[in-house]
Amino acid sequence: MTNQHPTRRFALRSALAGSALFPALLSELIAAEDPLAPKKPHFAPKAKRVIWLFSTGGVSQMDTFDPKPKLFAADGKTLGVGGGLSLEKRPLLKPRWAFKPGGKCGTEVSDLFPHLREKMDDVCLVRSMSTDNNEHFQATLAIHTGSFFAARPSIGSWLSYGLGTANRNLPSFVVIAPHLPYAGTQVFANDFLPAYHQGTRVLPGKEPVPNVKPQKATAELQELELGFADALNKKHLAARATDTDLAARVRTFETAYRMQTEAPEAFDVSKESDDTLSLYGVTRGDTESYGWQCLIARRLAERGVRFVEIIDSSSSNNWDSHADMGAHEPLAKMIDKPIAGLLTDLKQRGMLDDTLVVWTTEFGRTPGQDGAKGRGHHPACFSSWLAGGGTKPGIAYGKTDDIASTVAEDKVHVHDFHATILHLLGIDHEKLTYRHAGRDYRLTDVYGNVVKGLLK
Amino acid sequence: MLRVALLALVFAVAPARADEPKPPPEQIEFFENKVRPVLVKHCYECHSAESKKLKGELRLDTRAGVHAGGSSGPAVVPGKPAESLLIKSVKHAAGVEPMPPKEKLSAEAIADLEAWVKMGAPDPRTGDAGTRKIDIEKGKQFWSFKPVTRPNVPRTKFATANAIDAFVRSKLEAQNLSPSPRADKRVLIRRVTFDLIGLPPTPEEIDAFVTDDSPRAFEKVVDRLLASTHYGERWGRHWMDVIRYADTAGDNSDYPIPQNYRFRNWIIDAFNADLPFNEFVRQQIAGDLLPAKDEADRRAKLIATGYIANTKRFGSYEDDRYPWHLTYEDQIDNLGRAFLGVTMGCCRCHDHKFDPLTQADYYALYGFFSSTRYPRPGIELDKVQRDFVPLASAAEVAAFEKERKAKQDELDARVKARTTEWRAAEKELTALDAKKDSPDHKEQVAALNKRIEELKRQQRAAQAESEKHAKQPVPFETAYAVAEGKTAGKHRVGNARMQLKGDPERLGAEVPRRFPEVLGASKLPEGTEGSGRLHLANWLADARNPLTARVFVNRVWHWQFGRGIVRTASNFGALGEPPTHPELLDWLASEFVSHNWSVKHLHRLIVLSHTYQQSSADNEAALKRDAGNALWWRFDRRRLDAESVRDALLATSGALDRVPGGPHPFPEAKTWNFTQHHPFKAVYETNKRSVYLMTQRFARHPFLALFDGADTNASTERRITSTTPLQALYLMNDPFVHAQAKALAARVQKDADTDAARVRRAYELLFARTPTADEVTAATAYVEKLRAKLSAQAAWESLARALYMSNEFVYLD
Repeated sequence: MTNQHPTRRFALRSALAGSALFPALLSELIAAEDPLAPKKPHFAPKAKRVIWLFSTGGVSQMDTFDPKPKLFAADGKTLGVGGGLSLEKRPLLKPRWAFKPGGKCGTEVSDLFPHLREKMDDVCLVRSMSTDNNEHFQATLAIHTGSFFAARPSIGSWLSYGLGTANRNLPSFVVIAPHLPYAGTQVFANDFLPAYHQGTRVLPGKEPVPNVKPQKATAELQELELGFADALNKKHLAARATDTDLAARVRTFETAYRMQTEAPEAFDVSKESDDTLSLYGVTRGDTESYGWQCLIARRLAERGVRFVEIIDSSSSNNWDSHADMGAHEPLAKMIDKPIAGLLTDLKQRGMLDDTLVVWTTEFGRTPGQDGAKGRGHHPACFSSWLAGGGTKPGIAYGKTDDIASTVAEDKVHVHDFHATILHLLGIDHEKLTYRHAGRDYRLTDVYGNVVKGLLK
Repeated sequence: MLRVALLALVFAVAPARADEPKPPPEQIEFFENKVRPVLVKHCYECHSAESKKLKGELRLDTRAGVHAGGSSGPAVVPGKPAESLLIKSVKHAAGVEPMPPKEKLSAEAIADLEAWVKMGAPDPRTGDAGTRKIDIEKGKQFWSFKPVTRPNVPRTKFATANAIDAFVRSKLEAQNLSPSPRADKRVLIRRVTFDLIGLPPTPEEIDAFVTDDSPRAFEKVVDRLLASTHYGERWGRHWMDVIRYADTAGDNSDYPIPQNYRFRNWIIDAFNADLPFNEFVRQQIAGDLLPAKDEADRRAKLIATGYIANTKRFGSYEDDRYPWHLTYEDQIDNLGRAFLGVTMGCCRCHDHKFDPLTQADYYALYGFFSSTRYPRPGIELDKVQRDFVPLASAAEVAAFEKERKAKQDELDARVKARTTEWRAAEKELTALDAKKDSPDHKEQVAALNKRIEELKRQQRAAQAESEKHAKQPVPFETAYAVAEGKTAGKHRVGNARMQLKGDPERLGAEVPRRFPEVLGASKLPEGTEGSGRLHLANWLADARNPLTARVFVNRVWHWQFGRGIVRTASNFGALGEPPTHPELLDWLASEFVSHNWSVKHLHRLIVLSHTYQQSSADNEAALKRDAGNALWWRFDRRRLDAESVRDALLATSGALDRVPGGPHPFPEAKTWNFTQHHPFKAVYETNKRSVYLMTQRFARHPFLALFDGADTNASTERRITSTTPLQALYLMNDPFVHAQAKALAARVQKDADTDAARVRRAYELLFARTPTADEVTAATAYVEKLRAKLSAQAAWESLARALYMSNEFVYLD
């Protein structure tokens, strides 16, 4: 990085030197240059970065991570909650897949996730998640922003705002999303936080970061053009030496220029070994699969990106299996091996200790049938899991009742989930605030408790 | 600290009541032996005068506290344990918070409490309910709730003719500071042109101003700009920020509202026509209820109520499950911020924690909106527009409705007749069954069946025609506007009831519709029929209302200077900032009102002041004393907002389409099938000004999102200015910027003959100044160097891109 464009770098420094007016402004100027500079957390963090894996549409708890033998037995017999938006009573539907214990801890996971099941010794499973709304839109917004109706900053934006980022040549918050989920870009929007903190959406394939590729016809001229603009800016700045915004803007062009090189490199997996690729189930040349996305998440985490999110499916073709639970199978197949590979890879590289991996969905599914063989939306309980980053490995936290229709023990509400994640990153969720429209806002609004039982 | 002390004054303790009859001795004994000990042991920790933090605003250590209850309502209903919250919560009944939170009381203690409530909850304890109640009279003493005054213009050492300068100068002089000199003419015309019309000045306009030595030279520029139709496009956009304008509804599928462009254009036209601001307010709240000069005026006033119509929609349901309370909350929150500069959203659930605004004030306003018929733009479970307002005369609409009904009646009668015929034929068939012996039975049945088939077909055709007619859209243009609510049924015109803790399922007392108490509590006159919105509009637009004029003149100041006299433009409450120049603010407000609320008059006052025309250059002494420029010793430099950056790119390249925008190219309404699974989402490209870009509630236009455009979900009181590498990448690589560079290159080559003249042209277009000799040399050398290898056009394009990336292009001195 240091060999890049000494002229522009020099331009900034010399402009500063010219402004001997207020030497004290120098430090202010440096700070203004770098609004995403790493900031101190409230206390020593266990995790330094987050990889957030989101499964869209409502993953069934009783078919994946929450075994319910009694529900197998009660198939069709009693009335349970069913329906989509309707919540009417329907006959119970037995889970489609058998459960088996995984790892030394023996946490039971269904046959939908055979690879992930083997990683349960590293996973801190939560079977008692709970949310407040049975519509996709509201629940998806809530798991990302803590707000069910109004748009608010995403958890990734909050962490970018609270902690800054370690690599200024990449965005602090990257979202890998081939398709948009419910509530669209609101799930990774900065909302009222400054725009530095918005999730930068990356599209697997051709051009991951918007506008990061120079226009072909003029690419060779770009350095000249930046140089000319820089000379203009230097002159302009010299007469306005105390204006930190102007200097900061000069700096963004330097960063942008380096991003053109660094971002494509971060997204290029060609130098990864065959062993690594096969861990994720990626074939050489692939630049799109979920496995590729997980591998990219690791590469971005390695390069200091604070928060990486992968959204596995869109608002239309996803885990929302109303008619037939069989629709879970291809999706599970798509994400199972790559996620297991990601956990293995992070651990091998010693990154799992300070990287928090989160897998979640927006809500669970009903014990009762919806369509002939499917399940409805179910906010009362669902399963999510955490791994690494100071979480307690090899446990299954919380319990639901016999048919997974309500939380029986140790409820973890969305707000508690958020409070706990912030805690792992060294942040007191009640103290991370931003003043907006006359009020201090928090990710957790006025709720949330850190769930001690999930901490190592 | 002083602020906190002042705040405390606003609140006082509710008076005690001493008129309760004394309970009989045996009941007092029961209370003392069985009840008081339980309350002391299990409840007082959180619900008494000794509580570190009083929970749920509930005190159980006084009789008054028990009866008044807390935020969930009274704790007991004397004589009715089953209905008493206290009993329900100690019994851990469904739907109430279980108490005590950690451990359930013994069955015996619960039985005692029940028995006590049953005997009427006798209670000898005295003392008040002890929860804080807002003292409205004290609240009125807060600066922003006091009447607007007309302060005397201060005398300053340097005499000045402009009152604004006198107010600003007197504060500067008190700090031994003086204003900065007047900015260079070129700086000034660039500043005022972007400020008033949102576009860069043309080289011809600059030249005319620079060569005009008359004392009225600048005034002429200002008058020209205020008369330009681009003025409304610029200032209308400011207002659109405040009222969170959008072309879609914001429900889970974000339904398009193709008609809403009319309201957008109404805002723009209103600014252009200098519609008095009080009238501007009145029409947005109650345009449908105001008298009209003629048909065109009536239509315009109907369209103006788009302000109310354009409130956010939520969820997916159309039926009884639609969460109207959230739409009204968005409405009241925006009304408070936009017109009054107060935050009222929190009063949905409880009295305001810092301002003298109560939950009752909130539901007093709620009644106006629940009495209003909102148009419904379509939603997942009902994908059609309903209750849009026809833009036709009442007579035309009535005539059409009459004709439509007559036709409908005729079609329905035909359906009925066909049905009767068909049924009769079916009966004949049944009758035939009894005559199986008849020789031609088979033939008869066959013939009859044939007839039945024919009659069935006819019946179905009639039915289809009738249904088609019923669904026919009205043959008039419509507006996304409101009307008076229904007079019968569940949702009808009338007062609203309080919602305990903001829960629409838990209704409290009815609250008469009125203005907030601290603003005078104006009430509807006896016998008011309808929603009463016209009265609300008049209260808002009343010159005696201390907030409306103050808030708006401060906004204008904020938009012209980059920050307001009150920094928190939409919060004039205790958590907002106090004004830096309170006398100036009041003087401006009173001047504004006495000049018939003319916004253009206000602009002239401001831009013709020296305060506005000052240079933005550094001044070492002043920086040391007032680094933040709180006293306005200079003009604040600022980055152009998102729309201005985009419009300046288009204007300088020559590609700008200056014709006002009309409707957006939305898909046809009959094809709408948007759901939360497949929400509406579109970006429509145009070379028109950015105010005409389609604005989606859900997602900002990519360019506006990148350059800090308005929040499309909530009121934006000020634009933030972020500076990110993604913005740099946009200017470096986006095809839109490259297209403008290409057009600019062609333009300067066409406009001038020599390289030097072309460079001068480019600098004048982009920076409103002539380049120095050095700059001309550098730029021509740059072009020459490239031209040796590439085409002339390519060389100029490259220079154009470099100029577009410079700070000078996007910053205003």
